[in-house]
Amino acid sequence: MKLPSRILLGLFCLLVAVWLVAPTFVVVPMSFNEKKSLAFPPDGFSWQWYHNFFTNTDWSSSFFSSLKVATVTALVATVLGTLAAFGLDRMKSRASGVLRALLITPMVVPGVVLAVGIYAVYLDTHLVGTMTGFVLAHTMLAIPFVIIAVSASLEVFDRRLEVAATSLGASRLTAFRTVTLPLIAPGMLSGLLFAFVTSFDEIIVALFITSPYLKTLPVQIYSSITRDADPTVAAVGTILFLVTSLVIGAGLIIGSRQGRR
Amino acid sequence: MRMTVGKAAGFALLMATTAALAQSKPVAGEVAEGSLKGKTLTFASYGGIYQDGQVAALKEFVDKSGVTLLNDGPTEISKVQAQVESGNVTWDVVDTADFPPYVYCGSLFQKLDFSKIDISNIPEGQVSECSVPAMNYGVVLMYKNDTYKDNPPKDWKDFFDTEKFPGIRAVDGSGDFSGGLLEQALLAAGQPIDNLTPADIDKGIEKMRTLGPDTIYWKTGAESQQLAESGEADMIVMWTGRAMTAVKNGAAYTPVWKDWLVVMDQMTIPVGVKDPDAAHALINAYVGKSAQEVLAKDTSYTPIHKDAKPEVDEVTASFMTNTPDKLKLGFQQNMKFWVANFDAANEKWAGLMAGN
Amino acid sequence: MAGSDIAATGGRTASAPAAAGEPRRRLSGGPFWLVVPALLLLVAVLGLPLAMIVMRSFAEPRWGLQNYFWFFGTPVNLIVLQRTFVISAWVAVVCLVCGYPYAYVMTAVGPKLRLALILCVLVPFWVSGVVRTLAWVILLQDSGVINSVLRGLGLGSVRLIRTQTGVVIGMAQVLLPFMILPLYSVMKTIDLRLVQAARSLGASPARAFLQVYLPLSLPGVYAGAIIVFILALGFYITPALLGGPRSTMLSTLIQNQVLSLLNWGRGGAMGVVLLIATFVLLAIAAPLMRQPHRQGERR
Repeated sequence: MKLPSRILLGLFCLLVAVWLVAPTFVVVPMSFNEKKSLAFPPDGFSWQWYHNFFTNTDWSSSFFSSLKVATVTALVATVLGTLAAFGLDRMKSRASGVLRALLITPMVVPGVVLAVGIYAVYLDTHLVGTMTGFVLAHTMLAIPFVIIAVSASLEVFDRRLEVAATSLGASRLTAFRTVTLPLIAPGMLSGLLFAFVTSFDEIIVALFITSPYLKTLPVQIYSSITRDADPTVAAVGTILFLVTSLVIGAGLIIGSRQGRR
Repeated sequence: MRMTVGKAAGFALLMATTAALAQSKPVAGEVAEGSLKGKTLTFASYGGIYQDGQVAALKEFVDKSGVTLLNDGPTEISKVQAQVESGNVTWDVVDTADFPPYVYCGSLFQKLDFSKIDISNIPEGQVSECSVPAMNYGVVLMYKNDTYKDNPPKDWKDFFDTEKFPGIRAVDGSGDFSGGLLEQALLAAGQPIDNLTPADIDKGIEKMRTLGPDTIYWKTGAESQQLAESGEADMIVMWTGRAMTAVKNGAAYTPVWKDWLVVMDQMTIPVGVKDPDAAHALINAYVGKSAQEVLAKDTSYTPIHKDAKPEVDEVTASFMTNTPDKLKLGFQQNMKFWVANFDAANEKWAGLMAGN
Repeated sequence: MAGSDIAATGGRTASAPAAAGEPRRRLSGGPFWLVVPALLLLVAVLGLPLAMIVMRSFAEPRWGLQNYFWFFGTPVNLIVLQRTFVISAWVAVVCLVCGYPYAYVMTAVGPKLRLALILCVLVPFWVSGVVRTLAWVILLQDSGVINSVLRGLGLGSVRLIRTQTGVVIGMAQVLLPFMILPLYSVMKTIDLRLVQAARSLGASPARAFLQVYLPLSLPGVYAGAIIVFILALGFYITPALLGGPRSTMLSTLIQNQVLSLLNWGRGGAMGVVLLIATFVLLAIAAPLMRQPHRQGERR
């Protein structure tokens, strides 16, 4: 490619990159606003919204609810999703294609339609505002991500390794534990993370099935935006951004070390 | 499902009568020491400084009765419906907009037992079978000082006159239609409003459309406040509480009080709550003098107790709607007509909201 | 994806016949049972709710097609339905136009720069989706950053918030990663020597791109575009917070019917229309997303 067109292409990508990250970085300064308003650029500097997040029970309890729901969801979804990915991998191709498509549908069903339906069912079964209700719905939404992640690692996994282990006398369970599991662990881990994030950030279904006794963080954020318009939401966004950055940064460093070994 | 609701309601009625017989006449604002110890009540309202103020107003009640008060919201009628139909009512007392207690009286909201609520100090004509007022407030026209300078809009006619008063309008699109605003639209279109017919709904909506495609329909009180603080709209139809907060936060807007729309929120109890007595006790405490003074002080909404004299600062006082001069200027919507035509008006309003 | 599965499974069964003979027979009923728990959950929390919506759309307030007659007989619904498709299409186009060069550059640069580019794609996921939409409100409003910059440059201000343009900008930013990732995963498998070969045979850069590179990248284009389009159809939060009356999408109407007007039947009928549109699109697009060129590359 000629130089000018390369520069143009580079500039274009820079613009797209800015567009992608702009909202994230707008949130950070907003969280230090001195006034109770969501203005940008903000006026003055204060930590009060962070203080509010950590001391106001509405915020802290919704944060812990989300943490609980997302953790349980991630675990359940990883187990169910990994099992399903294995089943699909070892099934006749035709049936597996249909089942795979079926299991991935939650990703494409319009959120509000799903939420209205779940709300209707939960009303009849008294699951509105319950931990079980949240975990069931979020697990269903998270399973596709686990299946995709685990399937991807199964696709490159050479099944002859497992066969070799069994032919050398290992039981199927031992073969699975010592050969298969370590090889697909990265896939499961990324599935687990995706499931966690899916649940932690889920808002539409949560808006419908929430109750005063169980409110997740996104619901609290949404009602804060529509009711109070105070910068605590920006503080929450900043905290989440920092925590995720740390986790992912640590992951990258560990990953690159292992890569070098 | 119906059966359970019916049974629950019957049971509640029975409980209510027995309790009423055992109890002497209530006094607004009073509750017996420790009478609700170990009980939990959930109060749903619209959030923001408003709900904060309501919670502050109820603090004395909470401290004295020993009840645990949970807060939720924003109020959505569908959630009330869902709770009532499923027989699992988690909202014990609900603060609703103007219409719902009239439209859903007896179906979603229970008929109140006025032997347990002292309504003797509430202004005339504001108590309905299923509700007492939660506060009085106004919907005012706020205009941006910079835009209109020496020639500001003076009434709703000017609001609807986009030629003489160009600029972006912002209207309450947060929920149900505003009957008062539609009536003002009709007046601006030269229609009389003393004998409203269903055809007038269309004419009112048509007049709203003439405000132009740039018109903002704000969806929450917070959004209207944001609009004023950022100066994005030139004329904003605003709730007085939000208008006051915006002005306190530095919004350079001025209210127009001519024909301000008189509105109120309502305190209601859904059908089938687990402890109707406790819910009634909450409302009885809420309408008390000191509770209303706290509420008014914190929110600038007007108290619904005749003798309440809240101590407020200058800005807040300027947004109180119960002063004689403001009461004279207020405009009351035709409640009967709008309740009777609730579904039709709401559907047409929703059409306007969706940009048709 | 399905095509490569078949190939892979075939390879495996052929390669390990005798040794796995016994366990394989025992497993023949096995794999399905592994899928059952996930399927059961799916039936309970997806199948049942959707069935409920379909039923209510026919059953409330009484049995019949009334809600569908109402839906298709009310102009505003049709306008909103059409608008939902138009906005989604715009979002897909914007994502494609921005995502295609971006994904290409990801394949062309060194590992460090690539990591930076990938991080830019992933960063949006690190902040709660609702908070991000709020940030767009702040950025797009008339007194917001974008308009300040435009005014500073002497370009005058543009109305973005509560317009379709604003909604498209916000939605496309949320959905762009769903375009870039499939594009990138296809593009990184394209053998650039094919393009060089075309160039050395005398093709202009444009022609080499159009006739060699573009066709090879098409599966990624289809996959990305269809995913973005379908996800956009069901968007709710972004249009609700960023949009105005003229950018109301179907999800908002559904929510309004059910939550404000208490009309489950009509809301249900709208939901069914949106569902059918989604699945019809998927059915049409699924064959396009398979990667026909993969086999060719391997040869």
